[in-house]
Amino acid sequence: MLAVKTDKLTKNYGDFKALDGLELQVIKGEIYGLLGPNGAGKTTAIKVLVGLLKKTSGTAQVLDAEIPNKQIASNIGFMPQETAMYIGLTVHQNMEFFGKLFGMSKEQIAIKEAELLKFVDLEDWKDELVQNLSGGMKHRVSLACTLIHEPDVLFLDEPTVGVDPKLRANFWKYFNKLKENGTTVIITTHYMDEARNCDRVGFMRQGKLIAEGIPYEIMKDTGTDNLEDAFLHYATIGETSDGRMPDGGGVE
Amino acid sequence: MDIGRILAVSKRVFIDLKNDKRSLALIIIAPLFSMAVFGLAFSGEVENIGVIIVNHDNGMDIPVVGNIDFADQVIDNIDHDTLDIQESDDLATAIDSLEAGDAWAVIYFSENYTANTMASIIPFTNASSEIELYIDMSNVNLAEAIIIEVNSALMATMEENGGSLPVTVERTEVYGQNAEFMDFFVPGIVSFAVYLFTTLLTLMAFIGERVSGTLSRVLATPLRESEIVSGYALTFSIVGTLQSIFMIVVGILAFDVMIEGNILLVFAVVALLAIVCQALGILLSSFAQREAQAAQFLPLIVMPAFLLSGVFWPLEAIPAWLRPASYFVPPSYSITAARSVMIRGWGLDMIWMDMVALVIFALVLLALAVISLKKKG
Ligand SMILES: Nc1ncnc2c1ncn2[C@@H]1O[C@H](COP(=O)(O)OP(=O)(O)OP(=O)(O)O)[C@@H](O)[C@H]1O
Ligand SMILES: [Mg+2]
Repeated sequence: MLAVKTDKLTKNYGDFKALDGLELQVIKGEIYGLLGPNGAGKTTAIKVLVGLLKKTSGTAQVLDAEIPNKQIASNIGFMPQETAMYIGLTVHQNMEFFGKLFGMSKEQIAIKEAELLKFVDLEDWKDELVQNLSGGMKHRVSLACTLIHEPDVLFLDEPTVGVDPKLRANFWKYFNKLKENGTTVIITTHYMDEARNCDRVGFMRQGKLIAEGIPYEIMKDTGTDNLEDAFLHYATIGETSDGRMPDGGGVE
Repeated sequence: MDIGRILAVSKRVFIDLKNDKRSLALIIIAPLFSMAVFGLAFSGEVENIGVIIVNHDNGMDIPVVGNIDFADQVIDNIDHDTLDIQESDDLATAIDSLEAGDAWAVIYFSENYTANTMASIIPFTNASSEIELYIDMSNVNLAEAIIIEVNSALMATMEENGGSLPVTVERTEVYGQNAEFMDFFVPGIVSFAVYLFTTLLTLMAFIGERVSGTLSRVLATPLRESEIVSGYALTFSIVGTLQSIFMIVVGILAFDVMIEGNILLVFAVVALLAIVCQALGILLSSFAQREAQAAQFLPLIVMPAFLLSGVFWPLEAIPAWLRPASYFVPPSYSITAARSVMIRGWGLDMIWMDMVALVIFALVLLALAVISLKKKG
């Protein structure tokens, strides 16, 4: 019942190990929060899982298929950390384009587009060029494009950056709704208040998963009463003077 | 490959071009501008070249016929629009003016010009007659025009007198009767413009896709690399064809360029060229990290085509050792083919070699473009 499973997954950039034996297991239908300091390897992990980067060694499966695998691409939704929208196209034209890439008909796209634009509160901006939208608005369009084909597994790389608190609350309502419909959500974020909404969180550092559990347990384990302090705990634990982890510092 | 996804990419590229006023201007205004500039500058003949004639010829009295004066006849036969003639009595003064830059040439007829000419017609004499030409070669085009003009005036004079030169050149124009510079230039500039703008626009569009992250985003969907390249190829072959139609229509209306053959062949060749160029643009984009770097590719794209495609001057005008390099410049094939169709009226049976060359270029570059997109970090 795993949506994502990696085993000793590594990804090297030259000599640098961006992923260093990552063991990640995401259960189908859960919202999994991937946390960790800048440069921990969260984005790298997601890019390997959606087939954009070649892994160096180890294995990785998404929906029981060894990746990379184009066959499962239509069941996956990927929202990159950068906005990555066609800014010379309108909101509608972007959504239509992504819908078509997934083989959707015009009617299917129209129905889904109306629903998603309502959810991201951009109905009035449908025919505006994306380049004329604010940063947060672009992010909302980006999310809407990721959701257009109703994927089974969602990889969201910092989807709520620059999104105002009211809309962020909306986003989480929507993620929970998706979850009820059986969608698996893997999400990265630096907002610890929203990480609390995850079913489980995993804490990454230097390409490894060093802690994992339901948010409540994580706080208990670290003797803190909020995730912010837990984050600080894991981000500095065992740090040597050069800022690197001592060998074998990984915790399973 | 899925045709629906190819069409989706193609449509998206179209919309992007349409919404971007800058690229629209690049596609339409720039070629028009270059045609206007070159058309106006080159299509006219050289005129009003200042020359000084010093005529000392005494002529010759011949019984019954009377006095004949060949120098006067030659001068009469000179086209006075081409050469702006001043007369002078003194050779030294005339040469002074030439050296002062007041004229481009001095044409001198000696006292015995007619007499010598008569003598030279008689067999078995060693007599010769000469027109002496003092000429400023600092402007080669003008100097050549003067020499040609004097020679043709001389020949016309010989013919008028019933004499003909011992050796003559009989000219039959096999192709391109009355062809002018623009007839040569328009088929060339069409391909050149399509080459330049297609390569540049795809290069910029693709660097944009890489930098903004849209490229990796769409590659995480079912869309395949080959489908992206096909979508771009479809759009740019259509845009290239539209661009060439537009330029040729302007060429016909403004410069009355000749179209002897089937113009559809020209469009087919240009569409092929556009496919080659968009693949080239995609390929080049993989060597750029930032949008600003597109500018660094400009000389690399422009210079070889400018020098080696034959658009502005014939390939025969470049050194022989450099000529084979033109085989690697795709627009040279479409320029040759388009000229052959428009001026010579050639058909597919004659230009198929050029088309095959473009098809080979297209296949190789398309494959390389797909491979460059598949390369993952
Ligand atoms: N193309 C690349 N070449 C070399 N190193 C890279 C490349 N991409 C990422 N890295 C390195 O890999 C490490 C992990 O980067 P990654 O983007 O996965 O971090 P992250 O956890 O997503 O960080 P953030 O929270 O800032 O988004 C970083 O140290 C980064 O410098
Ligand atoms: Mg990241």
